[in-house]
Amino acid sequence: MNNKAASSKQTPAVRQQPQAAATASQNRTPQPIIQNMARVTDPKHVPKEIRDQFLKKIHFCSQPYDFNDDTKNVKEKQERSQYLQELFDLLKEPNFVVNLVVPHLDLIIEMIEKNIFRPLPILKKTATNGEIGMEDDDQLIDPAWTHLQPVYEYFLQLIVNEQPDVKSLKIFITHSFIQEFLELFDSEEPREREYLKNILHRLYAKLVPRRKMIRKAINDCFYTLIHETYKFNGAAELLDILASIISGFAVPLREEHVIFFKTVIIPLHKVQTCQFYHEQLLRCSMLFLSKDPTLATFLVEGLLRYWPFANSAKEVMFLNELLEVLEVCEISKLEPLIPKLFKRLIKCIAGPHLQVADRAMCFFENDYFLTILKSYKPFTFPLLVPVIAQIADTHWHKVLQESLNALKTILKEIDYQAFDKALNNKDPKYLYIIQDAKNQKKDRQKIEEKWKNLTKQAIQKNPNFKEPIVPYSDTHIVGEHNGLNNGNITIL
Amino acid sequence: MSENPFEVLKEDMENEEVYLKVNAMHRVRVVATLLGSDKIKSQLIPYFETLLKKEDDEVLFALSEELGNIAQIIPNQSSCLLPLLEQLAGFDETVVREQAVKSITIVCGFLGDNEIANTIVPMIIRLASNDTNFTCRVSAVSLMCPLYARAGNQKEKIRQKFTELCSEETPMVRRAVATKIGEIAQFMDKIHVIQDLIPVLKQLCQDEQDQVRLLCMESLMNIAKILNSGENKTNILPLIIQSAEDKSWRVRLALSKIFADLAEAVGKEIADSSLIQIFSNLLKDIECDVRVIAVKSLVRFIKFVSPEKLNLIVPLLQLLSKDPFSQVKQNACEVIGQIASLLPKEYSQSKLQQYLIDLMADDNQDVRRNAAKSAGQFAAAIGPEALNQFVPFLKKCMDDPKWRVRKETMQTIIQLALTVKNPDVFNKQLESVFVMFLKDRAAEVRSMGLSQLPALIATYKQEWAVGNFLSKCVETLSKDVGSLYRINALYAIQQIAYSVDGPVAQDRLWPIVQKCLKDPVPNIKFVSIRVAKSLSKKIDNQQTLNQIKQAINELIDDPDRDVKFYAQEALQN
Repeated sequence: MNNKAASSKQTPAVRQQPQAAATASQNRTPQPIIQNMARVTDPKHVPKEIRDQFLKKIHFCSQPYDFNDDTKNVKEKQERSQYLQELFDLLKEPNFVVNLVVPHLDLIIEMIEKNIFRPLPILKKTATNGEIGMEDDDQLIDPAWTHLQPVYEYFLQLIVNEQPDVKSLKIFITHSFIQEFLELFDSEEPREREYLKNILHRLYAKLVPRRKMIRKAINDCFYTLIHETYKFNGAAELLDILASIISGFAVPLREEHVIFFKTVIIPLHKVQTCQFYHEQLLRCSMLFLSKDPTLATFLVEGLLRYWPFANSAKEVMFLNELLEVLEVCEISKLEPLIPKLFKRLIKCIAGPHLQVADRAMCFFENDYFLTILKSYKPFTFPLLVPVIAQIADTHWHKVLQESLNALKTILKEIDYQAFDKALNNKDPKYLYIIQDAKNQKKDRQKIEEKWKNLTKQAIQKNPNFKEPIVPYSDTHIVGEHNGLNNGNITIL
Repeated sequence: MSENPFEVLKEDMENEEVYLKVNAMHRVRVVATLLGSDKIKSQLIPYFETLLKKEDDEVLFALSEELGNIAQIIPNQSSCLLPLLEQLAGFDETVVREQAVKSITIVCGFLGDNEIANTIVPMIIRLASNDTNFTCRVSAVSLMCPLYARAGNQKEKIRQKFTELCSEETPMVRRAVATKIGEIAQFMDKIHVIQDLIPVLKQLCQDEQDQVRLLCMESLMNIAKILNSGENKTNILPLIIQSAEDKSWRVRLALSKIFADLAEAVGKEIADSSLIQIFSNLLKDIECDVRVIAVKSLVRFIKFVSPEKLNLIVPLLQLLSKDPFSQVKQNACEVIGQIASLLPKEYSQSKLQQYLIDLMADDNQDVRRNAAKSAGQFAAAIGPEALNQFVPFLKKCMDDPKWRVRKETMQTIIQLALTVKNPDVFNKQLESVFVMFLKDRAAEVRSMGLSQLPALIATYKQEWAVGNFLSKCVETLSKDVGSLYRINALYAIQQIAYSVDGPVAQDRLWPIVQKCLKDPVPNIKFVSIRVAKSLSKKIDNQQTLNQIKQAINELIDDPDRDVKFYAQEALQN
C-alpha cells in the first residue's frame, strides 16, 4: 500500500506511458509529431506542416470542456489527452524543445493557463445528503482532476527542462500570473496542491529575477489568511516552499525577511485553522531561528500572546513549539517574558486537560529549560512552588500526581531554601489559578467596591451617565458583547 | 473615602488576567467622567499611549471602543483622541482597527467642518499613503466613506486617493475598495461618480482575483441605484453583462444573488430590454449552485419586469422544473406559484400547470412539499376552474409517505378553502381532502388541520360544521381506530362547539361526547370531560346540564389518576 503510493508519487508519468502508447497505436491516422520530427534531417528547420500540426494540437488542448461530466465530449477528451501525451513526449528530446517548443512558449503558456486557471469547484461529497454525524474519511476527488493532471505534469516538466531559459520564461511569469497561480493553492484536491507546490518551487529556483515578486505574492496570500479568510487549503504547501526559500536566505537576514517573520510567520499561529499547517509552520520558524537566534524571543512572545483558547489540541502543539523555541533563546533575553511564560505553564499544568498538563510537565525534563528556571529563581520559585505543592497533593490523576511530586522533589533539590521560602509565602501570587470561582470573586471584592463607588460619583457628576457594561461577568456572553461576526469563525 | 479614579484604573490594569483588564478598560468612561477633560488630556491619554505597545489585542479592542465613548464625554475636545485612534487604525489585528475606525467616525461627529478638512482629511490621506502597512490603507478606505460628504474643498483629494487605491497591487486593499465603492458613491455628486468611480469600478470588475470581482457585485447595485436609466444603460449594463459571463462561478453566483435588487435599481425599462436575457443565461448556468440561487432571485425578479416580458421566462421555468438538481426544482416551484398571478390565466394553465403537477410527484420530498404549496397559489390565481384539475393530485399528496409534504398540502387546501369562499366548490372539491387530516398518521398534520378549523367554520358556517364535517368526526370516533385519532376528533368537536348555538350543541354534540365519556381509554375520557365542559357553557337546558354533571360525576372515582383530576377540576367551577 505504502509502496504503491510512493511509486505513484514519484513517477506519475512513467506509470501512464504504456496506456498512452496503446491508445496512440490504436488511432494511427494522425501521425504523432514525435515520429514526424524524428524523420526531419535538419532539426533547425522544422517543416511548416509539422509546425502547423504542433500548433493545431496546442490549440486543441486549449479548448475548455466540461470535465465534470464524463458523458460529454468523450471523443474530444480522449483526443485531448493523447495530444497532451505527445506534447509531453516532445519535451524529452532537447532538439525538439529548442526548435519547436521554445519558439512557441507563448501559446504553450496560454494553453496551460486556459486549463488550470479556473474557478475552483466546491467538491461535493455525494449527490445525496450524508448522514449527519457520520465520519467521512474518503478524500474528496475533483472529477476534473484526471484531465488536469497531464497539464500539470507537462507544465512541471517544461519548467524542469533545461532548454527554455530564464529570459524566455520570465516574460510570461508576471505578477498576475503568480497571483492567479497562488489562488489555485486553495484547491481541495491534495494532488493538485502537490503539483502546484512543485511547479512554484521550480519556478522560484529557476527565475531568479522573479523571486522577490513571488515572495511578495505569497506574503499577500498569507495576509489574506491572517486578516480576512481564516482558511486556506494550500497554506501547508506554501509553507513547504517557504521553508526551502528560507534556508536559502543569506546571513545576516535582510530587514525585509525579519519583517516577514514578524508580520507573517508569528501571526500565522493565531489563525483558527493553524492545525492544518502547524508542522510546516514550525519548520519555517525553526529555520528562521537557525539563521538568527535573536528572533526566538519574538516568537516566544507571539506564542504566549496568541495562546489558543478552548482548543486543547492546538495547545499541545503550542507547548511543543514553545519548548523547541525556548531552547534557541538566549537566557538573558528572556527576562521580560518570564512571568507570562511561567504563568502559562502553571495554567496548563493546573488545567482540566490531561494531555495539555502532561505536555507542560515535560518542560521540566528539559535541561535547558531547567537552566532558565534556575537562572530566574527569584521570579520562578515564588510562582511555581506554591501551585505545584498544592496540586501535587490534590490532583485527580494518579500518574500526573506522581510526576508533580517528582517535580516537587526536583525543585527542592535545586534550592531547598528558596523552595521553603516560596512555600511559606503568605500571599502567593498565582495560587488563584487553581482556586475556584468563588474564591476568585472574593479577591476581586475590594476593587469591585471601589469601582462601584466611582460609578456612583460619576452618576452624581453627570446625571446622564450610562453605566458601563463589562463583558466578562457571569451573565454576559462575551461574543455578543463584542459583536463578533460569527461568520469569521471557522468551525473545524 | 474618595478614591483617585485614575489610580483605581491603573491598579486594575495591573491585573494578570486579560479578561479583568478588558473589564477595567470598559470602565474607563467612569474614570473619564470623573477626571474631566484636562486630566483626560494630561493623564489618561499618555497612559493609553503606554498601553499600545504592551497590551493584548483584546485590551486594545476594548480601548478602541471606549475611546469612542470618551469622545462623547468631552465632545468639544474629542480631537485629542485622534492621534491614539490613528495608531489603532493601523494595527495588525482586524477587529482592533475596525473598531478604531468606528470610534474615529464618532469623534468626527463632534468636529466642525473646518476641523474635518484640516485634521481628518490629512489623517486619512496619511493612512492611505502608508506604504509599509496595508492595514492603514484598508482603514483609510473605510474612513473615506462616512467622511467624504463633509470633506468640503478637500473632496477632490479624497476622490483622487480613493481611485488611486483601486489600482493597488495588494489584494487586501483592492478588496476593501471593491466593498466600499458602492457606499462612497452615495455621498458623491453624480458627475464624480460617473467620471471618477465608474472607470475604476470597471477596472475592479475585471480584477484578476475573483474575490475582488465578487465584492464588486453589491457595489454595482448600489451605484445603479443613484444613476438614471440612461446612465445605467451606458455604465452599469455592460458590467452586468460582463459579470454574467465571468469565468468564476462564484462571481456569477454573487450576481445571481442580487439580481432582483439590481433589476429594481436599474428600473423597469432596462430590466425589460436587457436584464431578462442576461438573467436567462444565469438560470441556465452550468454550475448548479448558481442555478439554485438564480431561481431563488427569480421569485422577486419577476415583480420588476413587465408582465408581457414574462413569457420569456416561462420556457426556462419548464426547463428548470426538470433540472437534475432538486434544490433548483424546489425553488422553481416557488416561482411557478408566484408567476401564475402575473401571467394570463390560459397561458399559465397551458404552459405551466402540467409541470407543476409533475413536480408534485417528484422523487425529492422537499420538491413535493414546495410544489404542493405552489399548487395552492397557482390554483388560487387561476380561479375555481383550476381546482378540479389540482384536487386529485393534492389528494395524492395527502397519501405521501412524508408528513412534511402532507402538512404543506393540508395548509394549501385550507388556504384555498379560505380564499375561494364558495360553499359549492368547497363541498365538491376541497372538503374531501381536508377531512383527511382526521385520519392522518402524523400528529403535526392533525393539529395543523385542527388549528385552522375555526377559520373554516367561520367561512363555511354551522351548516357545514354540524353537517358533513360532524358526520366525518363521528365516523372516526365510532370506527375502531387508535385512541389518538379519536382524541383528535373530539377536539374537532370542541371547535365546532365554540361556534354553534345551544340547541345544536345539546342535540347534536352532547350525545356524541356522552358516549365518549364511557370510552375504555383514560385519555379519551378526560379529553371528553374537557369537551363536555365547553359544551356546558353553550347549553341552557337545565336537564342536559344535569346530565353532563352526572356523567362527569361518575368519573370522579375513576381508577386513572388523570381522569380523576380532570373530573374534579371540571366539577369545581
